Amino acid sequence: MLKINQLISGYGSVQILNGANMKVEKQSIVALLGGNGTGKSTILRAASGLIRSWKGTIEFDGEQIQNLPAHEIVGRGLVQVTQGKDVFPAMSVTENLKLGGFILKSKQQLSDNLEKVYNYFPRLNERKDQLAATLSGGELQMLCIGRGLMSNPKMIMLDEPSAALAPQIVLDIFKNINRIRQDGLTVLVVEQNVRMALLLADYGYVIKDGVINVEGDSKKLMYDESVKESYLGGTKANV
Amino acid sequence: MFNKLRIGKKGENIIFGTFVLLYIGWCVNSPDMNIESLKSVLTIGLSVGIIYGLVALGISLIYTGLDVVNFSHGEFFMIGAFAGLTMFNLLGNQDWIFNLFPDAYGWIIYVVCLFTAFVSMGLFGVFIERVFLRPLTKKGGGYTVAGMGIIICGFGLSVVLINVAYLIWNPVAKPFPAELGLPMEIGGLFLPITYIWMIVVGLSVAAGLWFFLNKTKMGLGIRAVAYSKDVSNLVGINVPLYISIIFGIACAIAGIGGTLVGPTYQVVVFMGYIILMKAFAAAVVGGFGNLPGAIVGGFTVGIFETASSFYISGSHKDLYAFLLMIVVLMIKPTGFFGVQVKMKA
Repeated sequence: MLKINQLISGYGSVQILNGANMKVEKQSIVALLGGNGTGKSTILRAASGLIRSWKGTIEFDGEQIQNLPAHEIVGRGLVQVTQGKDVFPAMSVTENLKLGGFILKSKQQLSDNLEKVYNYFPRLNERKDQLAATLSGGELQMLCIGRGLMSNPKMIMLDEPSAALAPQIVLDIFKNINRIRQDGLTVLVVEQNVRMALLLADYGYVIKDGVINVEGDSKKLMYDESVKESYLGGTKANV
Repeated sequence: MFNKLRIGKKGENIIFGTFVLLYIGWCVNSPDMNIESLKSVLTIGLSVGIIYGLVALGISLIYTGLDVVNFSHGEFFMIGAFAGLTMFNLLGNQDWIFNLFPDAYGWIIYVVCLFTAFVSMGLFGVFIERVFLRPLTKKGGGYTVAGMGIIICGFGLSVVLINVAYLIWNPVAKPFPAELGLPMEIGGLFLPITYIWMIVVGLSVAAGLWFFLNKTKMGLGIRAVAYSKDVSNLVGINVPLYISIIFGIACAIAGIGGTLVGPTYQVVVFMGYIILMKAFAAAVVGGFGNLPGAIVGGFTVGIFETASSFYISGSHKDLYAFLLMIVVLMIKPTGFFGVQVKMKA
C-alpha cells in the first residue's frame, strides 16, 4: 500500500531523514517506533505532503506521490491523523468532523460518514454540539481519528495517538484502531509507547538517526535487545 | 514583571467605563448639545463608522488568514472607489437605461457600480496576492520571517498602487454625482440618501460575510485555514487557493466601501491612506482579528470622531480616532471583543 524508498528529507537546511525505507502492506497495522527527534514525524509529514522530499520515492497504491500538494494526497486516500491537540478549538465537534470530509462531493456521503464515525466513537455523538476546546484529552484524540476517517481514506497514519493519555483511554483508542483495520483500512501508527504499539501492530519498524534501524514481526521486536537500546538511549559500549 | 502591571479584566472595564462617562459628561456640557445635533451626530457617525468598519473587516479577515496586517488595504479602498466611478461614468450617458427604468434610474446605476467595485476589487486582490505576494504567502503568514516580508511588502504595494492610480486617473479630486433621490426624513431629520445607503449596504455586506463564513462549506474552509494551515492541508483543503480567496474577499469589501464613500465626498487618489489608519484604529478598538468586533469598532470610532469634532473641537478631526485607539490600548489592550488565546474566525 505505502512504500517508502531511500527517503531523504528535513526542515530548512537541516536533514532529518537519511534514506529511510519502509513498506506497509494492505490491511495491516504497522508501528513506526523511535525516540524523540529520530525522524518518525518527519516521515509522516513527508508522506502527507506537508514537507518536501529531497530525494527518494514515496509510493502509495502503486503511484508515486512524493512532492504532490498535501490536499491531493488526501484526495488519493492517504490521511494523516495529527495529535489530539490539533483540532479546531473554536468549532463544534460536528464542524470539526465535517471539515474532515471537506473533499467529499455529496452531502449524503458526508452524513453517512458522520454516522460511521459516531458509531466508532459514541462519545463524540454525546458531545457533538460542544466546542472542541471543551473536550478532554481522550475525546480530542477520538475527534482527530474520526476527522481522519471522514474522507473515506484507504490508509490512515496516526501520529502518537497515545500521547499524554491515561492507559485505560489508550487501550480504548487502540481497540478502535483495530476495529478500523478490520473494516478494511490500512494503518500506520507512530508511537513512543512501544509495548502498546507492538501489541496492536503486525509489523514494526524502529527508526534511529533518520534511518530504519531494526524491523521485523512485532512479536519478535517485543523481545529484541536493540529495541530496548533505541529507547533507553545507547548501549554500554558507545555511551 | 510586566504581567503584574496589567490590570485585571474587571478593573479594565471599570476604568474604561469611567473614561466613557467622563467623555459623555464633557460632550453634554458643550454649548452645542441638543437633541437635534445629537441625532445628526449619531447618523453621520454611524454612516462614517460603517465605512471604517468595512475596511477594518477586510484588515481583520486578512489578519485571521495570514496573521499579518495588510498596510496596502486603503489603496484597494481607493481603487474600488475609482472602479465604481469609472462604471458610473460609462453608464451615466446611456439613454437606454434611463428609458428602461425612468423612476429608479440612479439607483440601478449605483447598484451596478457597487457590484462592479465588489467584483473587480475581488479579482484585483486575488491577482495581487497570486502575482506579487505568492512567494511570501506560500511560506505561511505572520510569526515567520515571511510574515514580516508581507508587512513591508504592504507598504511598498501601497506606494506603487497610489502611483499607478495617479498615472491613470491623475490627482484631481473627482465628483461622484450619483442620483439617488431627495433627502429622506427620519425622526424629524433630513438625511441625504447616501448616508442611508452606506449604513444599509454596509450592514448587509457584513451580514453576508457572516453568513458566508458560518453557513457555507467554503466559509468553513476559510475558518479552518485561519486557524491552522497545516491541519487544513491534512483534511484536504487547498490552502494557497483559500489564502487567495481570503485576500480577494477582503479587497472586494474594501472596494464596496470606496464606492459607498464616493457620492458623499469625492474620489481622490490619496483617500486610501487616512481611511486605512482609521480602519486600523477601528480594528484595534473592536479587537484585532474579530470580525463582528471590526464593525462595532468602526461604529465606535465613527461616532467618537463625529461627536468629538462637533462638541469638542472641529479643527482636529483626524486626531480623535487615534486618541481612542491609544486609550483602548492603554486600558483594554485586547479591544472590545478580542481574545488573548489564539481562537480566531
